[in-house]
Amino acid sequence: MSTPHVLLGLLAIGPKHGYDLKRDYDLRLPKAKPLPYGQVYATLGRLERDGLVVRAGQDREAGPDRTSYAITPSGQAALDTWLSAVEPPLPHLNSVLLAKVIITLLVADLSRARDYLSRQRQAHAARLRELTAVKTDPTASVADVIAADYGINHLDADLRWLRTTLDRVVDLHREVTAR
Amino acid sequence: MLLRFALAGSRTDTIRVVLTGLSAALATLAVLAALTVLAIPTVLDGGRNVSPQYRNPLIAEAGLRVGVAATLVLLTIPVLVLAGQCARFGAPARDRRLAAFRMAGAGPRQAVVIAATEAALASGLGALAGLGIYLVGRQVLGSPGPDGKLALPTDVLPPVWQLAVVVAGIPVLAGLIAMLLLRRVVLTPYGVVRRVRTRPPRPWAGLLILGGLGTAALLAPLTRYLLRSGRSLPYDLFGLAVLVAALAVTVGTITGTGWIAHVTGRLLHRFARRPAGLLAARRLMADPWTGSRTLAALLAAVLFAAIASGVRIRMSTEFAADAEYWRRDAERTGEPYIPQDTTFYEGAHDLVYLALTVALVIAAGGLLVALAESIVSRRRELAALVATGVPRAVLGRALAWQTLTPAVAGIVLAAVTGITLQRSLYGGEVRSNWGTVCGASTTDCVVLPPIVRTAPLPLGDLAGFVGVALAVVLTLLLVSLLLLRTSTAVEELRTA
Amino acid sequence: MSFLGTRAAVKSYGPTPALRGVTVDVAEGEILAVTGPSGCGKSTLLHCLAGIMPVDAGEVFYRGRRIDTTSEEERARLRRTEFGVLFQFGQLVAELTAAENVALPLLLAGARRRDARTAALAWLDRLGVADLADQRPGTMSGGQQQRCALARALVTEPRVLFADEPTGALDTLAGEQVLGQLVRLAREQRTTVVLVTHDARVAGYADREVTLRDGVVDPTGLGIAAVRR
Repeated sequence: MSTPHVLLGLLAIGPKHGYDLKRDYDLRLPKAKPLPYGQVYATLGRLERDGLVVRAGQDREAGPDRTSYAITPSGQAALDTWLSAVEPPLPHLNSVLLAKVIITLLVADLSRARDYLSRQRQAHAARLRELTAVKTDPTASVADVIAADYGINHLDADLRWLRTTLDRVVDLHREVTAR
Repeated sequence: MLLRFALAGSRTDTIRVVLTGLSAALATLAVLAALTVLAIPTVLDGGRNVSPQYRNPLIAEAGLRVGVAATLVLLTIPVLVLAGQCARFGAPARDRRLAAFRMAGAGPRQAVVIAATEAALASGLGALAGLGIYLVGRQVLGSPGPDGKLALPTDVLPPVWQLAVVVAGIPVLAGLIAMLLLRRVVLTPYGVVRRVRTRPPRPWAGLLILGGLGTAALLAPLTRYLLRSGRSLPYDLFGLAVLVAALAVTVGTITGTGWIAHVTGRLLHRFARRPAGLLAARRLMADPWTGSRTLAALLAAVLFAAIASGVRIRMSTEFAADAEYWRRDAERTGEPYIPQDTTFYEGAHDLVYLALTVALVIAAGGLLVALAESIVSRRRELAALVATGVPRAVLGRALAWQTLTPAVAGIVLAAVTGITLQRSLYGGEVRSNWGTVCGASTTDCVVLPPIVRTAPLPLGDLAGFVGVALAVVLTLLLVSLLLLRTSTAVEELRTA
Repeated sequence: MSFLGTRAAVKSYGPTPALRGVTVDVAEGEILAVTGPSGCGKSTLLHCLAGIMPVDAGEVFYRGRRIDTTSEEERARLRRTEFGVLFQFGQLVAELTAAENVALPLLLAGARRRDARTAALAWLDRLGVADLADQRPGTMSGGQQQRCALARALVTEPRVLFADEPTGALDTLAGEQVLGQLVRLAREQRTTVVLVTHDARVAGYADREVTLRDGVVDPTGLGIAAVRR
C-alpha cells in the first residue's frame, strides 16, 4: 500500500488535520491494516519536505494535532501520475506460505510440511468464513463488501495453491533435499 | 467423414437410428408389395382379365388389383409419418451434437446435411433390410396350398429397376423429410433455437371442417339438379371435389385437435384442484400442437375408418333392399328366389378394415415414439421433481391427462366428421328400384314399387374402430408410464 | 445421535464406488458445507442424506429415526414435507409460471389453489422476484430461476434444505445474491442446510465444512491425493 499517495488523495478532497486524515483513512479503507498516528505525521512531514503538501492553517492552540494540510499543484500532479500508473502485477513471488513450506522441507520432513499445510488450510477456511460473514452482514457497506471480496478471492487462490502444493510436496521434497 | 459425424451419437441417437431404419423397412415392404401386385401377368379368360393361380379374388381379378396396390401405397403414409416422428426422437441430444459441429466450424447447411445424412443412412439400411425380408418372405410363403393355388403373388417379381428405385428412393425421401423437419431449427454454434409458434391456436380448424362437410353436402343436390336438367357433373370434377372435401376435413380434424387441446388445457387450468391437473393443463396450453401432431396419423386412420364403415353399412343396406326387391319379384312370378352372393364384396370390405387396422397400429407406433420423446427429453426435470418429493403417481396422472385429453377429443371428432362426411356425400337413404321388371314372357311386365331403406349409422363398426384407437392410446400410455419410472431415476440428475 | 447424518454409508454406481464408508453428523440449525473435488462423492452423499437415493450399506438417520430402511413412499413424503431441495439448474417445470412452480409443493400437500398462490407470491416477494410471478422459467435469467427454485424449496418451511451446487450455473454476482438470501432465510427460519460445493468461496457461507476425497471424509480438509499414500 502506498500510504503517501493515499494521503495525497484524501487531501485532494480538501485540507485536513492529521487526526481527521487518519479517521478518513480508516473509513474509506475498511478492514485495512490500521494506520498509526505516528506514521500519519511522519508521512505528512515527508510530503511537506518534497513540496507536495503545505500547511494550510493552524488553530490557536498550536501543536501538530491542530495543523491542517493542503495539497499543492505538484502534489496533485504526483497523485495523477500514481492514479494512472499500472501496478506491476505480482513482480516478486515472495510469500510467507511459500517460504515456510520450502524451509520446513529443508529442516524437517514431509509429514511436518503436510501438517503445516493442513493447519494453514483450516486457518484460511476459517478466515474466509469470517470475511463472508462480514460481507453478508445486512449493515455492510459496499466498501466493506468489496474489501471482503478482495480477501475472499485471495484466500480462495491460496487455498487452491495449498491443495496443489500438497499434491506436489513429495516431488518438492526430493528436489529440495537433492541440492 | 459425414458418415462418421452422423453416426457419432448417444443412446437416444441409436434408438432414433433404429426406429428410422425400422420404419424405412416397413415402407419398403409396403411399396414392394404394391409393385408385386401390379406386376402380376394377366390371362384373358372369356373377356375377363384373371390370374387363375391365386386363391384370393382381389389378387386374381386384374380390375381389383389396382385398388389393392393403391391401398398398399396408402399404407405407406402412416409409415412415413412414423418415420417423421422418429426423426424428432431424441432431438434435444441430437441438436446439442449439431451445435457442437457448428462450434467445430461446420456451416449451418453442413449441420443440417449431417442430420439428413443420418436419416438417409438409417433409412438406407432399413430399405435394404426391407428388401431382404421381402426376398426371404417370397421363398418362405411361396409354396402353393392344398388346392394348388397361391395365397400371395409370390411367383412374380417386379422388374429389377423398380426394386432399385424403391431401395434408393426411400433413403433419399427420408433425408429430404429430415431436412424439411429441421427447417424450423436454427443451428447456431451456441445451441439450437427452435422457432415455435407461441400464439394460441385459433378455431380456424372448425371452418375447414365445416367447409369440407359443406362441399360434400352440396355435391348431392348439385348432381341431382344437373341430372334433372339433363346434364351431369364431369366425373373428374366430382372426384376432385370429394378429395378436396376429405382433405379439408382431415386437416381440420388434426388442427382442430390442437385447438381442442388448448381449450381443454385452459379449462383444466381454471378448474384443476390437484397438481397433476395443473401440470397437464399447462403442458397442453404450452404446446397444444404436440398432441395433435403425434395423433395426426391415428386421427386420419379413424377418419377413414369412419368413412369406410359408413360406405360399408350403406352397401349392405343396398344389398338388403335389393334382396327384398328381388324376393318380391320372385314371389310375384312364383319362381324360386335365389339370393345374390355378396360374400365377395364383404370380403373386400374386410380387407379394407384390415388395412385400416394396420394403419391404426402403425400410427400407434408414431404415438409411442412421440410420447417416449416427450418423457426422455424432460427427464432431468422429472427426476428433479421426484427428488423434491413429487410422487411418481402425480407425474403419471399428469401424463395421462395430457395424453388422453387430446386423444379422446380427437378420436371422437375424427369419427364424427368422418361419418358426417360420408353421410353428406351419399345421404342415408337407399332405393332399390329397377323400374319395369318382366317375367318369363315379355307381356308379363310390371312396375314394382321401389324399396326404400335408410342406412343406419354404423355404430357397431364405428365403436369398434374408436375402441381399438382408444385401446391403442391406453396401451401406449401404460408403456410410457413404465418409461416414466426409469426416466425419473435419480441417476438422471447426474447427467447435468 | 445427532439431528441428521450417516454412519459408514456406502454407495456404488455399478462397479464405481461413490461413497466408501462416510460418517457425517449435521447439527440442527447448522449450515454445513460438503466440499471436495469433482467425483469425490459429495452429490451422492447429499442424495443419500436427503433420502433421494438409498445407501448400499451403512445407515442414514434423521431426528432419531433411520430413513434408509423406510419405503420410497415414506421418503418421498419426508422430502415433500420436511426437506427442501435445490439443484444447480433445471428443476423448475418449464410450462408452469414462477408462482405455480413455487405453489406446487403446497398443492401436493393438499393446499387450496388460492392459498397456495398467496403463499407462493409472498415467498417470491421475500426473494425479490415478485414481479416474475406470472413468467415462465424460460424467460428468466439463471439467477432469477434459482431464486424461484429457492422459493419453491423453502415454501413448505422445511427443517432441512439440501443445496447441490446451487450457484454452479450462475455468474459470481448472481450466485452471491442467491447464496446470501439462502443463508439469511435459513438463519431466520432456523433451517438446517447441507450445501454441496466444490468452491471454497461458496463453502465460506457455511458454519462448518466437511471435505470428501474419493468417497471418504478427508480429515485434513485438503482433499488431496497425498492423504491416500
